[in-house]
Amino acid sequence: MNKLIINSSKKLLSSSLNKNILKSQTALLSNVVPDNRIEVFVDDKPVLVQPGVTVLQACAEAGVEIPRFCYHERLAIAGNCRMCLVEIERTPKPVASCAMPVMKGMKIKTDSPVTRKAREGVMEFMLVNHPLDCPVCDQGGECDLQDQAMAFGSDRSRFTDNLFSGKRATEDKNLGPLVKTSMNRCIHCTRCVRFASEVAGVDDLGTTGRGNDMQIGTYVEKLLASEVSGNVIDLCPVGALTSKPYAFTARPWELRKISSIDVLDALGSNIVVQHRAGDVMRILPRLNEDINEEWLDDKARFSYDGLRRQRLVTPMVRGHDGLLKPCEWDDAFYAIADKLSRASGSQIAALAGGLADAESLVALKDLMNRLGSENVFVEESFPGQASGTDLRSNYVANSGITNLEQADLVLLVGTNPRYEAPLYNTRIRKSLVHNELKVALIGSQVNLSYEYDYLGDSAQILEDLLNGKHEYSKFLAKAKKPLIVLGSAALQRKDGDALLNLATRLSEKLRTQNGCPNDWRVFNVLHRWASQVAALDIGYRSGIEQIKAQKPKILYLLGADEDLVSRVDGDDTFIIYQGHHGDRGAEIADVVLPGAAYTEKSATYVNTEGRAQQASFVVAPPGKAKEDWQILRALSDVLGNPLPYDDLDALRKRMGEVSPTLTSYDKIESASFLPLSVSLSQKVKPALSKEPIRAWQTELGDFYMTNPISRASLTMARCVQSFKKTNEPVKQTQANANP
Amino acid sequence: MINNSINKIIPFLKNSPSASSQILVRYQSAAAAAPPKQKKTTFGGLKDEDRIFTNLYGRHDWKLKGAMSRGDWYKTKEILLKGSDWIINEVKASGLRGRGGAGFPSGLKWSFMNKPSDGRPKYLVINADEGEPGTCKDREIMRHDPHKLVEGCLIAGRAMGARAAYIYIRGEFYNESSNMQAAINEAYKAGLIGKNACGTGYDFDVYMHRGAGAYICGEETALIESLEGKQGKPRLKPPFPADIGLFGCPTTVTNVETVAVAPTICRRGGSWFASFGRERNSGTKLFNISGHVNNPCTVEEEMSIPLKELIERHAGGVIGGWDNLLAIIPGGSSVPLIPKKTCEEVLMDFDSLVQAQTGLGTAAIIVMNKQTDVVKAIARLSLFYKHESCGQCTPCREGTVWLTKMMDRFVEGKARIDEIDMIWELSKQIEGHTICALGDAAAWPVQGLIRHFRPELERRIKEFHATHKGHVLDKLAKYAN
Amino acid sequence: MTSIVQNFRNLALSIKQNGGLYRSILQLYRVDEIKEGEYIGTDRNGNRYYQNKRFFVGRSRWVIYNEKYGLDYDGTHVDPEWHGWLHYVRDDPPTVKPPITYKWVTPNPQENKTGTPDNYVPYSTVKPKIEAWVPKSNKK
Repeated sequence: MNKLIINSSKKLLSSSLNKNILKSQTALLSNVVPDNRIEVFVDDKPVLVQPGVTVLQACAEAGVEIPRFCYHERLAIAGNCRMCLVEIERTPKPVASCAMPVMKGMKIKTDSPVTRKAREGVMEFMLVNHPLDCPVCDQGGECDLQDQAMAFGSDRSRFTDNLFSGKRATEDKNLGPLVKTSMNRCIHCTRCVRFASEVAGVDDLGTTGRGNDMQIGTYVEKLLASEVSGNVIDLCPVGALTSKPYAFTARPWELRKISSIDVLDALGSNIVVQHRAGDVMRILPRLNEDINEEWLDDKARFSYDGLRRQRLVTPMVRGHDGLLKPCEWDDAFYAIADKLSRASGSQIAALAGGLADAESLVALKDLMNRLGSENVFVEESFPGQASGTDLRSNYVANSGITNLEQADLVLLVGTNPRYEAPLYNTRIRKSLVHNELKVALIGSQVNLSYEYDYLGDSAQILEDLLNGKHEYSKFLAKAKKPLIVLGSAALQRKDGDALLNLATRLSEKLRTQNGCPNDWRVFNVLHRWASQVAALDIGYRSGIEQIKAQKPKILYLLGADEDLVSRVDGDDTFIIYQGHHGDRGAEIADVVLPGAAYTEKSATYVNTEGRAQQASFVVAPPGKAKEDWQILRALSDVLGNPLPYDDLDALRKRMGEVSPTLTSYDKIESASFLPLSVSLSQKVKPALSKEPIRAWQTELGDFYMTNPISRASLTMARCVQSFKKTNEPVKQTQANANP
Repeated sequence: MINNSINKIIPFLKNSPSASSQILVRYQSAAAAAPPKQKKTTFGGLKDEDRIFTNLYGRHDWKLKGAMSRGDWYKTKEILLKGSDWIINEVKASGLRGRGGAGFPSGLKWSFMNKPSDGRPKYLVINADEGEPGTCKDREIMRHDPHKLVEGCLIAGRAMGARAAYIYIRGEFYNESSNMQAAINEAYKAGLIGKNACGTGYDFDVYMHRGAGAYICGEETALIESLEGKQGKPRLKPPFPADIGLFGCPTTVTNVETVAVAPTICRRGGSWFASFGRERNSGTKLFNISGHVNNPCTVEEEMSIPLKELIERHAGGVIGGWDNLLAIIPGGSSVPLIPKKTCEEVLMDFDSLVQAQTGLGTAAIIVMNKQTDVVKAIARLSLFYKHESCGQCTPCREGTVWLTKMMDRFVEGKARIDEIDMIWELSKQIEGHTICALGDAAAWPVQGLIRHFRPELERRIKEFHATHKGHVLDKLAKYAN
Repeated sequence: MTSIVQNFRNLALSIKQNGGLYRSILQLYRVDEIKEGEYIGTDRNGNRYYQNKRFFVGRSRWVIYNEKYGLDYDGTHVDPEWHGWLHYVRDDPPTVKPPITYKWVTPNPQENKTGTPDNYVPYSTVKPKIEAWVPKSNKK
């Protein structure tokens, strides 16, 4: 079924993708040879294919699907399942089509007796030792083996021997709290092993034993310590690797599938949210070549159980006894209106958190402006001394995600993409493996799952690189397509202005002096929060300091949960919290307004590369909770100053007025104001701090719980626990080694 | 060793720039064209002066001094200086075919490597992982005549322009590896290999690597994987090792015997070597005779010697006389057996044995007389292949186990008659569907058994059913067809 | 011949026992049948019990519900004491042989409440789908 989704989404995307591919192909071909394609015959049907493609791909081109288990287009070819055997004219034996390159004039027969016999034979061998537990198998209904046994298998059994000696039995492996194993079902396709070593960059999975005793496992029992481990579940063609949190909860045909986007990091990975009767049952990746390919990181995939826990289901108002008490919407609104009527505009401030959608951000800013306040702030700060947030090119990943594959040098500053944006990291790794990309890092020396040049953790290095004093400058100078990725965590420092300043100037220097292509962008900011780019687009500023200094009378928190403001900061402040989870923000609030999580509203998010995407309404917000912009609209009504939009269309129109990028979905507006920003930045000379640059997250245990949703998730808590458990003895031995 | 069937070809690859020539030639070699006209008609009775391996039985000194006294390392420098083309032409003229089992013409194989270098070094890998049941020829060379192999490495390496030779020796061959290493050390010390080998200005290193006891590592690509430090699992072909082999560099994997005869061929001339045996099957060969013979031995003989003569002359005949013979496996465990009738006229060479629906393999002759339980013998071979399957690809991993289970039942006769056809079909489902030739090797003995001993199988089954009335298998008749 | 006469006599008896023609028609409307039989007794709900051994077992004992129930009579209106006799569990009606009462026997049995607002609803054993946040009792 997973495959089906991918297929269908492929179809959806095909138009745009094809255009892109065609463009790039024509661009390439116009320089080289006009057409060097060769002709092959698939079932006597002539097809023109690029030389070097495999027989299987040629067949796909001809519209013939070859059954396969081990072959996966994003993994190395293993050729070990033998399901893809096809007959090729004038060869003595059937050929594994996944591994065989096409030759000119090749005559491929995908439905000849030889081919059919070979498939049937292989299928029979697959099933000899495959348990007949489809009724209790979680893969049932979306199982490649099931489907292909129906299509290509024999219609009767010859397994007399199983009556005497039974089927092979293998002990299940414990791979941690996410991946459930049932190794009896394994058909040894080694997709998981190849994924782990090639894409995830961890050599945890492998095969032991040989012949029929061969087993897939982690050699010694340990956690599959990868931030993208969940993808092995999608990859497994049978039910050997299934999802532990999803185990026995639903069947694929019971689920309704709705395409949406993920907001738990700033990449905006495309997902399919699957729900049954108002429950989100699981989240799977959706193919988007520009962002997440077909992978998804574990936080995005498994923290959906956090959507059911710690929810705000009813408005609450703090009573005279100092306790939050559930109440009706009207009571909450009147409590707010009462306070607001006694405050002037400058005494009101709003603070937006990392999961807020563009719609509610616009509505909140409009409301604040109507109340006469300009104090709309965003939790994640962004330096604003020079051009700061005025120029979009200062705060997005200008080169986009796909361009990582073309880059020849990536300089990471103050970020650990492996945990801040796992799929960004897998892109870097992919490029590193296939294109000999060089990666350098300034910041904490973390394990990025690949080799990189570590330059140190001092901010001074950036200045040295700019001046050409650093020994690494010569590599930078040689790079034809360099990228600089500045982590937004580094911008939270006191000298964030200086870092941004240096990074933009270095980028501009490389771009102009290295002879990069005209449309090549060097400067990137890798954000941590899904709301950040939209918030900056709309005009939110960083202002925690200001809130702490001014102590506004009324503070409106829109999903601000990062503990940046506390009760101590403004004892007299009346705090309104609007959000979906009872987290740090709701704890300090005087009024709590229950909003909707990202699966419960049709909402716009702009990812770190500046791409606006829509999350979909999948299930209804629980209890009395409402979509966030509706709450703000209703509140404005109670305040007697109604916002001028009554439905989502009108609101989106208003969003377009605020910033056209917010409504131009799935497009990246290329920003070309970097030279301007550099010239502006030259005017200010902020000082660098001596403090070393630290990564936000250094180890896997930090990765799982970073926002209200994942903090509420039991699965994520289990991941943290098991990570701690597996790493405890290591730490002890290390401690013993260095007394 | 087990790469018997690897030389099947893919003719349309003709136009491919990469693997073309190699594959094309492989095709021609296997496409048994009309038998060539024979100059000779009688074979056998190799004279002592024509023997290549003169210390096969270890009666003389195996060290450098002894080896030199037997003519090794004689004028090696001159041979090397004649250049690679001369060596390859000489080997081509000799008609030497690979001694590891596949019988691929060595001259051609070596000439694939003799392409202009693209900057990558080339390697020669010697397959000394002699694991085929019944075979004991390479070990005799390595423990009693190691210098023949070292010199052969140098000459073969020169012929293909290799930078180094890796000898992958079977882990169980402890003494052989000791002798081998001693010979390599001696040769280094004498300046015969290493920097400026034999004073020719050609740098050539020989390394030895001991295996860890896996039969599959005798398959050339598995051997390369193992040598690289990975699990010994065969690679997909194409690309062939001649393009991408050891450490990603062009590599040729050859058998010990093939390489060890090369110096003598170069010294005595290709035409001398070609004068033995039938056309296309020329040369001398080490035959290993084991099983029910009076005098099991390893002997060097002319190719195309009649099987019967070989056994009578060198092995002292079958125990209980020729009439007591039941069947012979003529080329190591992975080829089908042949019954007595065929044994009487078959010649021990590649083409004649293929005609008899078997193969020369490693020329390890396993003789079984009438006291043998032939079904049990083949069942044991099935167990061997089950144990040695690497588990990488499906038909072999699952099929060998299945075959073993069925063969075990056939030994008792605990089966149905129609299951004989089923096991035949199963073996056909394995054969040719796997990455390497181990699947074929596992299937062939079973096929040979059914081809020649079907009545025996049927007799056992009937007997079993007669003594076990109402056995569960009768009730399973519905599963038939 | 005798049977026809007999039948008419029985009909007459039935009508008489049911209190005249009008009430008999009413009874016929209520329970689709009028029968003549020996009056056995009345339970505390006012239901009247009859027996006529002329009918075969299974039809020989019956109840005429209290008229206060109208057409909404129900099996659970039969008093538990009489239930045993009516269903041939006991030979003797409670008027002849009072049933033994135990401590656990409820003194006032209730009718079936299904379909009424008082009907029985089992409490849910399923966890709520959404776990709501409960604020800690931290004071301001």
